[in-house]
This record gives sequence, structure tokens and C-alpha cells, in this order.
Amino acid sequence: MELHEGAAAATGDGVLDFSRLNLSTLNVDSVSDERRKDAKQIYLNNNRLVSLSSSIYLFNNLEFLDISNNRLTAICEDITRLTKLKTLLAKNNRLNEYSLPKEFGSLQLEVLNLSGNRFEEIPLQCTQMLRLQSLSLGGNRLKSIPPEIENLTSLELLYLGGNLITAIPAEVANLPFLTYLVLCDNRIQSVPPQLTRLDSLRSLSLHNNLLTYLPREILSLVHLQELSLRGNPLVVRFVKEMTYDPPSLLELAGRTIKSRNIPYFPHELPDNLLCYLDLASKCPNPKCAGVYFDSCVRHIKFVDFCGKYRLPLMHYLCSPECTSPCSSNPQSDAESEDEYSVPADRLQRVLLG
Amino acid sequence: MPKSGEQQQRADHQHRLPKTAAEMEQTEVVVPKTLDELIAILHKIFESDCINVDEVQQIMESYESNPQEWTKFAKSDKYRYTRNLVDEGNGKFNLMILCWGEGHGSSIHDHTDSHCFMKLLQGQLKETLFEWPDNKKSEMVQKSQRILLENKVAYINDSIGLHRVENGSHTEGAVSLHLYSPPFQTCQTFDQRTGHTNTVKMTFWSKFGERTPFEATVSQENN
Repeated sequence: MELHEGAAAATGDGVLDFSRLNLSTLNVDSVSDERRKDAKQIYLNNNRLVSLSSSIYLFNNLEFLDISNNRLTAICEDITRLTKLKTLLAKNNRLNEYSLPKEFGSLQLEVLNLSGNRFEEIPLQCTQMLRLQSLSLGGNRLKSIPPEIENLTSLELLYLGGNLITAIPAEVANLPFLTYLVLCDNRIQSVPPQLTRLDSLRSLSLHNNLLTYLPREILSLVHLQELSLRGNPLVVRFVKEMTYDPPSLLELAGRTIKSRNIPYFPHELPDNLLCYLDLASKCPNPKCAGVYFDSCVRHIKFVDFCGKYRLPLMHYLCSPECTSPCSSNPQSDAESEDEYSVPADRLQRVLLG
Repeated sequence: MPKSGEQQQRADHQHRLPKTAAEMEQTEVVVPKTLDELIAILHKIFESDCINVDEVQQIMESYESNPQEWTKFAKSDKYRYTRNLVDEGNGKFNLMILCWGEGHGSSIHDHTDSHCFMKLLQGQLKETLFEWPDNKKSEMVQKSQRILLENKVAYINDSIGLHRVENGSHTEGAVSLHLYSPPFQTCQTFDQRTGHTNTVKMTFWSKFGERTPFEATVSQENN
């Protein structure tokens, strides 16, 4: 069926509705010059388009374009000529990481929805849009999140649910305005503690993943109001098995230098030792001034948080003698039954790196 | 297990009250053509204290969802699902519209001894049924799971079990119409891993098409 002006429900306020018209192509010629200039929003969703006509650029004042629910395998290069385009919805098509034009990153988009396509990677062009506030790539085939995601400094919403993602890069924590992070229905085994830097995070969706515990740092997300965790194999009881092995001589020396503030200078030590000393982690126990390098003790505390009962939160202590820090979150249990019933020599030991 | 035996009878004994032959003759089979018509029919049915669950389910199912009629109630929130009151049923029931964004889901919850009817107005929802937890601290037992399609109506009450409702789609939102009789303001949520319960207060995102301020500031869902 051909497109012509009469067929479309033209509301006369810059909105052209060509949706659900069984279109196989977009014939721009049949739209008058005036209509093309006026058009701010175009709905082309739910048709049979296999490609987007390059003449789309003739709608040069376009701000909103919906091409969802078509059969698109690529988006034409000429779309980058739509300098005023702010919202592009292209969900439920047949797009992959090779479908986007090279200069796609030059668009000043604020909202981009590519959910329900065939992306196996987040294309680099998507990480170049500095005005992007909302990025949706749900229901694709993504295996990972590129560290370049941190370039999207305006991002508030990141929807990556329903993919094959196995890990969250720490760079996600560098998005200063992120309020809604959706990672449900993936294959994530752990949440990086760096996510604690996401001050503005309001909602975190982690349901249907492979999490057994969460980092204790999650309690620092003071603005977090929604947290979904169903369908994760979260531990209900912390299993204590192994005995504690003492730290190495290198570690003991490193700990002494750091905790006693013994001065050292770059010309005094070989590079490898300088690097090692930089890796010191402060013991999370506020009463302990100690540090640890590779040898620490893993401990799980069960805490009520965000409407959830007894979340297993993992934290690390520098030694079994170091008592577990009190939680700063008033919602948490004052004591966990696990802490009191476990003799110190049975706490599990974890080697980092 | 559900609350007091007396209260339990409320949803139980009204569950299946078959009509007599005379009643069947008198009753016209009215198919609501609009949402307003559906509401009017529901008002009439609920004048009586006895409810025929099958009848209500059938009538709700026969209304063909027309977005133009309910869009004004369907106010959504990007962070979680919303509850939007449509009609207070003369105190006999609450009729509300729930808007579910992509991935949004509820906790496992009960229905405080009331009838619950849920109709899909747009999109699809996944309903997972659970047994009531026993007194031991253990993982809750899942009974069944199904996907409800547009215009379908599901029914549940405490004697049937508990359920979790979720929108499993990553590309489409969903909208559902819920009828609860008698109306209730609190319910229990359940932790799937342990059966632990919490009583939560239920709030409305909007009433009669007007956005109403949200009372609780912290999410009470265990999802």
C-alpha cells in the first residue's frame, strides 16, 4: 500500500501518523513541502518497512520518529541529517550492531529505544551520544556492556534487561545521573561494589540473574527505592567451611607499612612493590585501621533492605579477629544470627586476584 | 494459612453459588460494550451479598478492551507498576487499573480474604501461583505459572493460594483491570526464599484519573 497524505491521520500540529497502514515503503514525495517542514513527530510503527527511505532527511525539523515494529535490517545514513531529532524508537525490528550508520553517534538524541532487535554488542555509536538520557536495548543478544558506556554522561535510564550479560563493568558507576538501571533476565553473577557511587540511583532491577549475594556497599545507595531480586539463587544461610590461612610475608610487610604510615619513596622500591602497595584495601570495619591486600576474610551479613527480607550482603574483613562492622543502614538487623553463632576460626577465607 | 476461619468463609462459600433454573431465565446475558457499561453492570451484580464468581469473570471477559475508554486512568511510572483507582463500587468493591512497565513485577501477595479478578486490557502478564508457606523457614512452593493474554480474566482468592504478577516483556508495557471485593487496604507480601511475611499498605498512584500523592516513600514490594 502506498503512502499518501490523505491516508495518514494528520492532526495538523506537526504530527504525521502513518502507523498501522501496512506500508512497505515510505513515499516522501507525496507529502507536500510545507507538511515536511512542519513535521515534528512521525509515527511509522507497525508497518512492513524493510528499510528506511533515505528521503527521511527531508523532514528536516523532525524531533520524534517511531519506526518500531517493522522489518528493518538497517537504518539509512541519511538519518544523521536530522539534526533536530531527539527521540528515535526502533524497537522490534531486525537490527544488529552493523545496522547503524557510521555517523549515527553525531545525532543529538535524548531517547533511543532499540529493544527487541538482534544486537550482540552495544554499538560504539550508541556510546557517543552525549545528550542521551534514555537508552533501551532490552531483549537483544548482548553479552557484555562496553566500558565506553561511561561516556554517556547525561544518561538517566539504562534498560538492558533480557540479554546474555554476564558481568557489570565498574564504568557503569561513572554515570552521574543514572536513576534507573535495568539488568534483569541476564546471567550476572556479581554486582561490582563500585556501583555505590551511583548517588542518584532510584531503581535497580536485578531479577532473574545468577546472584548469590550482593556487595555490602549497596546499602550506601541512599536514594534507592526499588530493588528487584526475585529469581536469583541468593544464599539464605552463609556456609562456613574453611579454616583461615595466615597472610604471606609480603602481605604482612605491606600491611605494616600502610597501617603505620611508614614513609617510602619511588626511588627506594622496585616498581612491582610500589604497585603492590597501591593495591591496599581499607578494612571496612570502622573500628579497625587495618588494611589488607590479597588475604582477607569474607563474611555475609543478612540485612533487610528496600522491602526485602534478609538480603545476603558480602563484605571483607582484614582478619577473623576483626569484628564485623555495624551497618550504617537503620533498616538492617542489629545483629545477624550468623555472626554470633560462628567461631572466628571457621570464617571462610578468600584470595583476591 | 489464611486468616480466621470465619473470614475465610467470606471468599470461600461465595465462590460457587450456582443459579437456579428460574434465575437463569430471568437473567439477561448483557455484554458490556463500553467500560462504563461494565461498571454499571458490576454495580448491579454487587448489590447482592452473594457473588457468582463465574458470572463476574464472564462479564469482565466479555468487555472488549478499548484503550480510548481507559487511557485516562492508565497513568504509568517508569520505576514500578502503578495502581489507579477507577471506581469504588458503592463500597462493595474496588475497581482499578494497573500499569506495568517493561520488567515490572509485584511481590508474592495474598488478597486479605477478598475476591480478586484481573483482566488484561493491553499486553500480557505472567501469573505465578504459590502455596501458602508452612511454618518452617523454607523456599516457597510454586504451584503453576501462566501467561494471560489480552482480554483474559484471572480469578484468585486466599483459599486458592498466593500469586506474583509480572510483565515479562522487555519491549511492551501492560495494562490490567482489577476488581477486589470487598475492598481492602493492606495485604501480606511474602519472601520467596523463606516464606517470611510483611504486611503492607496499598496505595494509589491516581484516583478517578487524577494523580494522587504517594504516601509511602520506600518500596514495600518484595520482588
